[in-house]
Amino acid sequence: MVGSPVLFIAVPLLAAFLIPLLGMIWKESIRILPGLVLLYMLVLAVTLLGQVMHTGTIVEIIAGWKPPWGINLVFSPFTGVLATLMIGMGFIIWIYSYRFKNVDFEEAKKYFILFMMLVTGSVGIVLTGDIFNQFVFIEITSISAYALTAFYKHRDSAEASFKYLMIGSLSSMFLLLAIILIYSQLGTLNMADIASKAHLMKPEFKILAVIFFIVGLGIEAEIFPLNGWAPDAYAQAPGPVGAAFAGIVVKAGVYALIRIIFTLFDVSGTHQFLIVIGLTTLIISEMAAIRQERLKRMLAYSSLGQMGLVLVAFGIGTEEGIFAALFLLINHAIGKSLLFLSGSYLVYNSADKYINETNGMGKFLPITSFLFALGALAVVGMPPFSGFWGKFFMMSAAAHANMLLVIALILSVSLIELVYYFRVVNRIYFYKKESHIEPKKPTVNAVIAMVTLGVIILVIGFYPDVISGYLHQASQALLDKGKYIQDVLSTGQLLTH
Amino acid sequence: MKMKKILVISLLAVFGVYLTEALFKLDFGRQFFQQGVKDFYLVTTPMKLQVANVVTAIVVNFRGFDTLGEVTVLFLATTAMGSILYKGRHQLGERAVLFSGSRIVTTGSRLLFPAIILLGAYVFIHGHLTPGGGFQGGVIIATGFLLMLMAYADYSVSHIVLSVVESLAGITFATIGLLGMLHGGSFLQDFLPNGSLNDLLSGGIIPIIYIAVGFKVGAELTGLIYTALNEKD
Amino acid sequence: MNFTLFDLKIIEYSFFITAILVIMIGLYGALVKKSLIKVVIGLSVFDSGINLLLISVGYITSGTAPIFSPALVKDMPLTLENIKKLSAGMVDPVPQALVLTAIVIGFGVTAVALSLVIRLYRHHQTLNIDEIKNLKW
Repeated sequence: MVGSPVLFIAVPLLAAFLIPLLGMIWKESIRILPGLVLLYMLVLAVTLLGQVMHTGTIVEIIAGWKPPWGINLVFSPFTGVLATLMIGMGFIIWIYSYRFKNVDFEEAKKYFILFMMLVTGSVGIVLTGDIFNQFVFIEITSISAYALTAFYKHRDSAEASFKYLMIGSLSSMFLLLAIILIYSQLGTLNMADIASKAHLMKPEFKILAVIFFIVGLGIEAEIFPLNGWAPDAYAQAPGPVGAAFAGIVVKAGVYALIRIIFTLFDVSGTHQFLIVIGLTTLIISEMAAIRQERLKRMLAYSSLGQMGLVLVAFGIGTEEGIFAALFLLINHAIGKSLLFLSGSYLVYNSADKYINETNGMGKFLPITSFLFALGALAVVGMPPFSGFWGKFFMMSAAAHANMLLVIALILSVSLIELVYYFRVVNRIYFYKKESHIEPKKPTVNAVIAMVTLGVIILVIGFYPDVISGYLHQASQALLDKGKYIQDVLSTGQLLTH
Repeated sequence: MKMKKILVISLLAVFGVYLTEALFKLDFGRQFFQQGVKDFYLVTTPMKLQVANVVTAIVVNFRGFDTLGEVTVLFLATTAMGSILYKGRHQLGERAVLFSGSRIVTTGSRLLFPAIILLGAYVFIHGHLTPGGGFQGGVIIATGFLLMLMAYADYSVSHIVLSVVESLAGITFATIGLLGMLHGGSFLQDFLPNGSLNDLLSGGIIPIIYIAVGFKVGAELTGLIYTALNEKD
Repeated sequence: MNFTLFDLKIIEYSFFITAILVIMIGLYGALVKKSLIKVVIGLSVFDSGINLLLISVGYITSGTAPIFSPALVKDMPLTLENIKKLSAGMVDPVPQALVLTAIVIGFGVTAVALSLVIRLYRHHQTLNIDEIKNLKW
C-alpha cells in the first residue's frame, strides 16, 4: 500500500505549519514546498484511484475507532475521481501562480499557505464520511477563500470578500442547525450511519434538515439565490484564485449537496428540486453573463450557469445522468480554469478588465489568445473538444428520461453561451488594438500550466474513453447507496489496546 | 428603508415560530434516539482510555480529526488576518492604544500576568481531568498578553517567537497523529500507555495534544490581538 | 423551595426559547444594521445562539457534567455496571464537544470579518454600508 487517504489531509497540514519555519531559513521554500506537497498528493491520488477501481472502496478510519464512533475518510470511485480532479487542478494552478505577480515575501508566504489549505479543505469535504467533520472542512475552505478573495489591496476586493463572508457564514450557521437537528434525532454524525437510520427520523425534521442543508451548502455550490457573492469574488480575486474557485471549491460544494441528497436522505422530490434549481441558476446566470462588460464577471456568470447545468444532470438521477454530470464537471473544471488563467493575462495591465480591452490581443499574445479560444470552445461544447461529450451525454440521458423540455432549454442556453464567448474571441482576433494598455507576456510557468490544460482538453475531446471508464464506476458508486453504507459500517475492528 | 425592516422582521418571525415549533417537538431534556454514539463514549472513556472528562476524550481522541481541523481554522484565521491587513514591509502602523496605564494599573498587571499564565497552563495541563482544556487554557493565556498590551503602551511581543511557537505546536499535533500511523494503527491513534483514572499522567496522547493545542491557541490569539492593535494609519 | 414539574419544564424550555431569541436578534442585526461593526456583532450573536441551541439539545433532565471526577466515582470499583449507572445521569457529551469546535470556528470567522472591516474602513473612511457601494450589493 502506497499510502492512505488520510495523508491527503495530514501532509498538507504538516506542510502548512512547517512553511513559516522553513521560510525563515530559506525564502524560496515557501513557493516550492506547497508544489511538492500537491505533487505528492497528485501521485498518491492517481495511485489510489487505480487501486480503488480494482479492489473497491477504501475506508480509512481515524484514531482507531470504527465508523459510527470515530471519523472516517471514504475513498470510493466517486470521491476518488473528484479528489484527483481537485488535486490535479490545484497542482496546475500552483505551477501557474509560482511567479504570478511581484509580491512581498510575507504576502507570497500567506498566499501559498492559504492556497494549499483551499485545496486541502476541498479535498477534505469530498473525502470525509462525517457531517460535522465536513462542516469543519467547509470552514477551512471558506476562510482561505475569504482571505484569498481580499488578497489584492488596490482593488475593491475587501468589499467582495466581506459580501462573500456575510453570505458564507450565515449559511454555514444553517448547516450547523441542520447538523443539530440530525444529531438530536439520530444520535450519530456518521454519514453512512445516518443514511441507514434515516427512516427513524420524524418526517418534519427530515424536511427541515434537508432545507437547512441546501441553504448551508448552496453557497459553496453556487445555486441560484445564494450565489450573489460569486461574480464579485471571482472578479476581485487574483486570476489563479478565480480559477481555483471554478475548478476546486465549487466542485466540493456540489459534491456535498449531492451526497446529502443522494445518500443521506430519501425525501421525495429532491431530484425534481435539483432540476428546477439547476435550470433557474442556468438560465438566470447565462442571461446575466451575456450582459456583462467585464471579462472576469462574464466568466464568473458563465461558471454559475455551468454549475446549474451540472445540477440538472445530477437531478436526472439515472446512472447515465450522473455520468454526464461528472463529465460536465470535469470539463468545466478544466475549461473554465483555462479561461480564467489565460483571461487574466489578456487583461493583465488593465484596471477595469473590460472586454473591449482585449481587442487585437491575438497578435500580441498568440499562445494565450489561442488557449483562451480553446477553453471557450471547450466550455461551449464544440464537437472536437471535451465539452461536446459532456453536453452530448447529458442530452442522451435527458432523452432517455423523457425530459424534452430540459433538452430544449440546454440547447438554447448553449446558443447564448456561443454568442458571448464568440464575441470575446472575435474581439481578440479580428479587432484592432485601440487602447494603450501594454500586453503582458505570460511567464514560462504560466505557459506550461495553460498548455497542460489545453492538452487535457484536446485529449479528452478526441479520446473520451480515457476518463469514461473511471466515470462509469464513479456514477455507479454514487447510486449504490446500500454498498456505501455497508462499506463504511463494516470496516475496521475496534483497534484499541 | 422602513419596508426592508418590516420585511426582515416578519421573515424572522415566521422562521422563529417555525423553528420553535419544530424544536418543541424534541421534548427538551429527554433523549430522542435509542442508540446513539454517546453511550459508547460514556462507557469507553473511563474504562479503556482512563480519562475522567468525557468531553475531552471526544474532542481529542474520538473526534481528534475535527480538532486538528479546528486548530487549522485558527491558524488560517491568523494567516488570513495577516494577509488582509498587510501593508508592505516598511509601512507598519502605530499602536492603536497610545496612552499607557497609570502606575497602579501597570504594577497590578505585572503582578497578575504570571498568575494568569499559570492558570492558563493549569487549565490545559488538567484538560483530561477537569473541565477545560487546550482551547480554554490558550484563551486564558492570551488574555494575560492582552492585559499587558493594554496596560503598557510600548509592550511588544515578538512576531517571530509567536510564529515559531505556533508552527512547532501544530507540527507536534500532526506528528503525533502520524506516529500513531507508524505505530501500526490509524492516524491520531493512541499509542501511549493509558495510566489510571484521575491521574495527571493518564489518557495516552490526550495531555500531550492538549498541551500543544494550548500553546498554539495562546500564541495565535496573542498574534491576532497584536496584529489588530498595530492597525492604525 | 419546591418546584413543581411544571416550573421545571418552563425553566428547561427557556433554553430553547432563549436560543431562538438570540438567533433572531443576531439575524436581525446582521441583515438590517447599517454599521459594518454591528453587522459583524450580529453574525457573532447569531453564532452564539446556535451554540446555545446545540448545547441545550444535549441536555438530559437533572443530568450532571460528563466527568468521572474522584468525588463522583468515590471508591466504587470501575466495573461496566457501575459506569453504566453513573453515566445514566450524565448529559450528552457529544454536543459539548461539537460546540467547542463551533465556537473556535466562529471566532476565526469573526476575526477575518473584523480585519475585512478594518480594510474597508481604511479604504473608504466610513463604516456605513450604504456608502461602500463600489460593487453592487
